[in-house]
Amino acid sequence: MRKMTLEWIRFWITAVCFFGAAAAFLAEVAGVWRFGYVMNRMHAAGIGDTLGIFLISLGLAVSAFSFADILKLVLMVFFLWLSSPTCTHFLGQVEYFTNRKAMKEIPVRKISDTSETEQNSERKEEKKEDES
Amino acid sequence: MSIETAYEWLYGCMILFLVILAGVMLFRAIIGPRVTDRIMSVNMLGTLVVSCIAVASQLLQELWLLDVAMIYTMISFISVLILATMYIPRNRKMQMPEGKEKQNVTRKTNKDRR
Repeated sequence: MRKMTLEWIRFWITAVCFFGAAAAFLAEVAGVWRFGYVMNRMHAAGIGDTLGIFLISLGLAVSAFSFADILKLVLMVFFLWLSSPTCTHFLGQVEYFTNRKAMKEIPVRKISDTSETEQNSERKEEKKEDES
Repeated sequence: MSIETAYEWLYGCMILFLVILAGVMLFRAIIGPRVTDRIMSVNMLGTLVVSCIAVASQLLQELWLLDVAMIYTMISFISVLILATMYIPRNRKMQMPEGKEKQNVTRKTNKDRR
């Protein structure tokens, strides 16, 4: 009887981890659909690559059969956590080198000695120019 | 309800959810306006498929499917890397945006900052 209760506790831990992972993946996909520019979309894509896969692996590790199972899951997450930022870095480079309007979308270039209101008015002017 | 049935329901629902999300991401990859959107969608699709395979390995109680998931992670990484490096030019000069004068202004201020 006690063993059965422990099994059910394990099941519910797995279920909670899976719900968290599902929420993370949903946030990822919703972010990719809601944001309008690829640099913003990359930010949303990072959620699922890190938190989503980690929670899925955690849930599977809790309900795993053997130690080898857990080791493989840990390796999988390790590889994904190494590769995902590298992919994002290269995607950022591709966007920077291929998109001629990329610098207009990235507000880092704004001059430091101009005040914030001036920056906003500059942006509005740029937008008007683009529209015209 | 026995615990085996509960696990089967949990894994089955999770796989179904991930497959639906993968379908949505595939649609994004098709309509993505720029090439970077498509590459990013392929990357995310890889993540979703990997998690799907990992859950399926527990559902079917097949240990070797986790090896497939591991290999898939690396292959997806390499594919995205190769796709990305194809679009990065060899001589990494800074691309001039459309307004030339504005670019000059920003360059000056960058030098001043240093």
